[in-house]
Amino acid sequence: MSSDAVVIEGLSKKFPSPTGFRQFAVIESLSLQIARASFASIVGPSGCGKSTLLNIVAGIEPHDSGEVRIVAQDGDSSSARIGYVFQSPRLLNWLTVEDNIKFALEAQNIGRASWGERVRKYLDMVGLAGQERNFPLKLSGGMQQRVAIARALAIEPDILLMDEPFSHLDEITARKMRVDLMHILEHARPTILFVTHSLREAVFLSEEVYMMSVRPARIFKHLRVDIPRPREPEDPRLFDLEKDLVKEFFAVLEQDHR
Amino acid sequence: MPGLLSTIGLLLLWKAVSLFFLPTFLPSPMELLGAIVSIFSNASAYLIIGKTLQRVFAGLVLSMLVGSSIGLVMGLHRTVGSFFDSWIMVLLTFPSISWAFLSVLWFGLSEVAPIFTVVLIVFPYVTMNVWEGTKALDKELTDMATVFRVKRFLLLRKVVIPQLMPYIFSSLRISFALSWKIALVSEAFGASRGVGKELMYWFQGTRADMMLAWGASFMALMVLVDAFVLRPWENRVFSWRQAAAM
Repeated sequence: MSSDAVVIEGLSKKFPSPTGFRQFAVIESLSLQIARASFASIVGPSGCGKSTLLNIVAGIEPHDSGEVRIVAQDGDSSSARIGYVFQSPRLLNWLTVEDNIKFALEAQNIGRASWGERVRKYLDMVGLAGQERNFPLKLSGGMQQRVAIARALAIEPDILLMDEPFSHLDEITARKMRVDLMHILEHARPTILFVTHSLREAVFLSEEVYMMSVRPARIFKHLRVDIPRPREPEDPRLFDLEKDLVKEFFAVLEQDHR
Repeated sequence: MPGLLSTIGLLLLWKAVSLFFLPTFLPSPMELLGAIVSIFSNASAYLIIGKTLQRVFAGLVLSMLVGSSIGLVMGLHRTVGSFFDSWIMVLLTFPSISWAFLSVLWFGLSEVAPIFTVVLIVFPYVTMNVWEGTKALDKELTDMATVFRVKRFLLLRKVVIPQLMPYIFSSLRISFALSWKIALVSEAFGASRGVGKELMYWFQGTRADMMLAWGASFMALMVLVDAFVLRPWENRVFSWRQAAAM
């Protein structure tokens, strides 16, 4: 049994250039291990291939070479469950909140007997108890995203992928969601691969922060955030970490441009 | 209010014009009403209308089933789509009246002829509409479902078909409007009984008043079906949308 939930080895991905004559590397020989039950963030500027990386891990985008392995709790890779929270909620608006979660449970062949309990447990966890029978469009954007988080948690995934899940929300809602996510993680401990362009968000939420450069995407910095959770958003130690990282990030960017 | 005025104006104009003609050529509004009453005071009218309704219903249901299925398969498999594309265009372009005559030649005065005509003319519209709908399917939702390892049947039921419902319903309303008009035309040539046959009968007797009476009665019935069956059904299916207003 491995202690890593996700192992990425020498991953490369090329896109055709707009003219179609050449290909450019979006991701080049990227390697990464994510320990089980840890929270890892990948930070990088927009368009650096973060979402592409998540989509490759999720299996909805092909890659050119290298290997991505998701290891289930029992060590079997073929049965690994993947939860995904996208930038937008991607709910099925014609199904009730409850049925949206059951949709994911049914897809994962999870026994019908446990559906009711799981729906209750995870809606409660994201603070949406009592919304079971509402339709998504009746909820605010933040609440819709909570449903999406509950849906991803409910399948009790081996890896939970989160692609800038708060970027479409206003800052006040986003801030509340981050704090709430931190508290949710005290009850459920999935392995999380979180992608963001916000250093502050990454430092606040994660245990491991990976910084990614643009084209081709490679990881130039790995940082452990040893501050125990739950954390306070205003913790001065977080600000210090963020400051150092920003400095480093721009140093690397300038090096790349030279 | 303007609606009421225009209705009254139309009735007055109609009455004025009708004064110059025989009632059997152009009846006044009251004479038309009398003709309608005379139709419905005869029990056989209900049997005739029932017969036609049966054909409209059968043609409509078959057209929707055949049309949606072909449209869906065309949308989900590109090769099937390009394979049937030109066939559907041929069917859409072929003159409707030819089908009405051909059906009688092929099936004689039978139950099959009017239904066959309706289906052949209506289902291509449904197919085109549903096919169009499959092109607007949200790839983001399909990707979401794929990550959650959704199997094909569940994907169809919970993700694909709900997104096609607006197209299916707009097809249904167009098909309904088309079906009953086509059914009447086809009955005129190819049925022993039905509203279309009645129209033919009174045409041969040069009785415009009776033709108008049958036409208006059936039209009223169809408007009622639309208002009290199709619209409420549609509103119920799309009730999740009205939730948007908070």
